[in-house]
Amino acid sequence: MWNSRFDYLYVAPAILVMLIVIGYPIYYTIELSFFNTPASLALSAKQFNGLDNYATILTSPIFWKVTWQTVVWTVVSTFFAFVLGLGAALALHREFVGRGFLRALLLIPWVVSAVAASYVWKWLYHSDFGAISAMLSGLGLIDRPINFIDNTSTSLYALIVVNVWKEFSFAMIMLMAGLQTVPDTLLRAAQVDGASPWQRFWHVTFPHLSGVSMVTLLLLAVQNFNSFIIPWIMTGGGPAGSSDIWITHIYQLAFGRQRWGVASAYAVILFIVMMVLGYFYVRALTKGDDARAGA
Amino acid sequence: MTAMEMSAGAAKRRGAGGWRWSGRIFLVLLLGFTVMPMIWMFITSLKTGFAAMQYPPQWWPAEPTLENYWRLVDPSGTVGRDFIQYFWNSIWVSTLTTILAVVVAVPAAYAFSRFRFPGRSFLFFAVLLRNMFPAVVFLVPLFILMKALGLVNTHGSLILTYLTFGLPLAIWLLKGFYDNIPVQLEQAARIDGATRFQAFFLIVMPLSTPGIIATSIYSFIGAWNEYIYAYTFLTRHDQMTLPVGIQRFFSENATDWPGLMAATFMMSIPVVVLFLVLQRYFVRALTEGAVKH
Repeated sequence: MWNSRFDYLYVAPAILVMLIVIGYPIYYTIELSFFNTPASLALSAKQFNGLDNYATILTSPIFWKVTWQTVVWTVVSTFFAFVLGLGAALALHREFVGRGFLRALLLIPWVVSAVAASYVWKWLYHSDFGAISAMLSGLGLIDRPINFIDNTSTSLYALIVVNVWKEFSFAMIMLMAGLQTVPDTLLRAAQVDGASPWQRFWHVTFPHLSGVSMVTLLLLAVQNFNSFIIPWIMTGGGPAGSSDIWITHIYQLAFGRQRWGVASAYAVILFIVMMVLGYFYVRALTKGDDARAGA
Repeated sequence: MTAMEMSAGAAKRRGAGGWRWSGRIFLVLLLGFTVMPMIWMFITSLKTGFAAMQYPPQWWPAEPTLENYWRLVDPSGTVGRDFIQYFWNSIWVSTLTTILAVVVAVPAAYAFSRFRFPGRSFLFFAVLLRNMFPAVVFLVPLFILMKALGLVNTHGSLILTYLTFGLPLAIWLLKGFYDNIPVQLEQAARIDGATRFQAFFLIVMPLSTPGIIATSIYSFIGAWNEYIYAYTFLTRHDQMTLPVGIQRFFSENATDWPGLMAATFMMSIPVVVLFLVLQRYFVRALTEGAVKH
């Protein structure tokens, strides 16, 4: 409707900042991924080594172990965060006294910093004085304190619990907003026609939620794929790499072992995976946006 | 109504009641899961080091003490001095990031909402896509960049980086608000002789105040809680923000759990309070874009 070259002035500051802090790093990461880099970060001494870094990664068994753990971490966290969020959204949909307060309490984990969350859960899981072990033995379920996070077979799952705790309420608010778009008249019509609560949910509510569910699931998946703080603070990826996921692994490669080139190649692979997910994210998110843009 | 119909009706009501009750039980369990860690954080922070190291734990401290909090805010001790410094650093970095993000995002979001220009959708996708990229993709090159610019161990490095993830989200949130403000209002102002800038500044800006508040809180909380860049860019204690500085309770010989819990509790208070006071704006802004049809 309006069209002038001054329109660009409104976005120019944003574009400028993004070019510097987004465009340049992406370019630089891709470049570094083809080089053998000295540990010192004296990068004038770097040597071109073609696809060696990529070959090193893809042939390393650690890569596949970390990839599998990342998939488990992402899929299990996303699934449970979504299910808990959906349950909470449905239970909170009906108006009742204290609903707003309850919703606010449920949102607290999402607002609190992941650093605070990691420390308090580390304390809850503590192998000698942990409150969770104490509660379980109080219920007569276990005899002695369990070592949840310093244990190769349980550490990843113990961290997933923390992650779900941290982010289920994000799914909850997204889905609560989605529920408000379900027309009451349809639900009432279904009720009049004798549909059970489950049928009403499955045939009326759920189809209306598909758009927002898609966005929520994608956002959760992306966020989980990119997780760093919880595993880094709680276990550092250990013990014996049993809770290592991509980001903690890359961080360790770069800042722990100073293998900048290999770490960059890892980042590029991750980047490509994210681009694919990003494509679906943008598609889910902008559905309908173009229609409005024509207005 | 026949007897059969009546019993069917009763069964249906019982069914609905059953659903309602399972919903309630679910909520109670979920609430327990949600608040238990926060409560345990607080209870632990009221214990002495000795009282915390017991098994089974004291569910409520026999001798509750505020000692851990006094230590954090007492500027004459080393712990207090550092904690106060971290706190100020966090406030300074988060506030400046928020102001810059909003100032840059407002015109950009307005343009994305109103104007059609070549490359508009590409730019908008670029804005959205930034949300997708893992911090680690940017970490190595930004670290090298900051080193080259001499910004390592400065707050400038953090503020500049926080803008990268703060801006796209701020633009996205604000655009949702501008989309909801009828274009007709500006058109009327334009007909009355206002320039486009006046129409924006005098008509649209005041109407979008809730959006600006929501976006500010979002930026502030994001910057306040950020860890990975602060952890990588800052090594000097007088520069550290809270999430990074707090690890000093951890790395010394034995972990001071009550001290650590008091510090994490203090760190959580500002964002939780800010959020609880302003959550109405916040939740609406966040979900606006996702549910629109």
